[in-house]
Amino acid sequence: MPPPDPELALWFAQEVQPHEAALRGWMAARFPAVRDVDDLVQEAYSRLIRTRRTGSIACARAFLFVTARNLALNHLRHQQHERPAGVAEIDPSIVADERPGVPESLARAEDLQVLVRAIEALPERCRQVVTLRKIYGLSQKETAERLGITEPTVEAQGAIGLRKCIEYFRRQGYRLNL
Amino acid sequence: MNPKTTAATATRDAALWTLRCDRGLSASEQDELSQWLAGDPRHRDAFGEHRRGWDELDRLAGLQTSVQAVPDPDLLAPARNRRLRRFVPIALGLAAAVVLGLGFLRSRAVPDSGPATAAAALALIERRTLSDGSVLELNRGAVVTGRFTAQERRVALERGEAHFKVAHDAARPFMVEAGGVTVRAVGTAFTVQLDPTRVRVLVTEGKVRVDDSAKGQSLLGAAVDGEPPVLSAGQSAVVTLAPTAVSHIGKISATEIATQLAWQPRLLDFTDAPLAEIVGAFNRGNPVRLVLADAALGEMRLSATFRSDNVEGFVHLMESDFGLHAERTGDRQIVLRRAVRP
Repeated sequence: MPPPDPELALWFAQEVQPHEAALRGWMAARFPAVRDVDDLVQEAYSRLIRTRRTGSIACARAFLFVTARNLALNHLRHQQHERPAGVAEIDPSIVADERPGVPESLARAEDLQVLVRAIEALPERCRQVVTLRKIYGLSQKETAERLGITEPTVEAQGAIGLRKCIEYFRRQGYRLNL
Repeated sequence: MNPKTTAATATRDAALWTLRCDRGLSASEQDELSQWLAGDPRHRDAFGEHRRGWDELDRLAGLQTSVQAVPDPDLLAPARNRRLRRFVPIALGLAAAVVLGLGFLRSRAVPDSGPATAAAALALIERRTLSDGSVLELNRGAVVTGRFTAQERRVALERGEAHFKVAHDAARPFMVEAGGVTVRAVGTAFTVQLDPTRVRVLVTEGKVRVDDSAKGQSLLGAAVDGEPPVLSAGQSAVVTLAPTAVSHIGKISATEIATQLAWQPRLLDFTDAPLAEIVGAFNRGNPVRLVLADAALGEMRLSATFRSDNVEGFVHLMESDFGLHAERTGDRQIVLRRAVRP
């Protein structure tokens, strides 16, 4: 599904497509119950492209894995009408982009700075929760284990963090494009 | 009801519902959410904004994963704490083993001015000169640990890809262990890439042996005239893991080597250098032109290491840590000047 814009198409070919095999392999291993992997991969691509059109992405591979994971979980919830437990973890080592190439963040990180600063400005606990959940793609459960706090606390701190980030975006005039 | 309170409650609930949706709602929560949304049109707006904000933060996914092998909850701690914390593990690590893979930036004679320096954090440098003079360059995401003794130099590539330019020392072989494969060199340069399923070795200079770490036997085949087989400059080998076996040995051209090594960052490394010199080095390698507003600024001295292509990171750093103001004049020129202090 190459995007029409040539610059975007080149980026897609170089930064995104090389990860497809790894993504599919990981999806198959982690979500054997998901039948429509093709659909989910396409959907993850669309979201990635939409997001890239409206600003920078720190790491295409990580974004792709996190998005596909979230889509798969949603999909399973609908399939099973309940919350699947304990399948949300993403191994950070698989998300790390280990391919050759200059990370995009080095070239176009300017607009990411608002997001970074929003997180930096959070109170410590909120900041840790948001960092683990959003930058490392950890699930709520994994974040709780990692910080030695309960899941409801992670949820509450995450919500406070999110609310403060939104306030920060408003003060900075940062537009939410998605 | 006080309208201000209602708005505050709406955003608080919207944030909570966003987090709950993210982890998955139970059936009763689903009903509760529907009721809450239907209860007030402002709820729907606030919910939409918070969900978009939560998704927006995904842009940062994988930010700086190359620095930390394990998730670091304090990755974005305010700069003052972060810098301190980051150097401590390095100092401790030097005592027993050289722990590599951390970006670094040295600044001298510069006030540790307030706000966080995310730009500095993004300006990753992944090159290390080891105590024996060997140089290694780490690709993004690579993690390397090392242990040097009087008899041998041992390095373990835990993950990712690294290029090793080994200082010659016949008495102390240099060994890189990756996924149960040992690449042994005396004085040479090579790249080792560790994937979940294979190890790739690419020799750019000299020769290396490629052994099974456990058995200590060559993976390249039988000895010829009593000499273990070697991989020479311009050759690459792919070793599949589990079971460990060489699946491919090939010759590659100089052009291909250049392409394969293209990830190696070109580095600008300055120690106590005048800003004018640093700016000049950036300008030689980049289409974007940096201009210093006044000559005195060019005499400001600093120590820093940068990727030559990271003009943006450098400019950010100048703004956040060095109190300069950057003005973009035209799309190819950035003027740096001292920020006017209020």
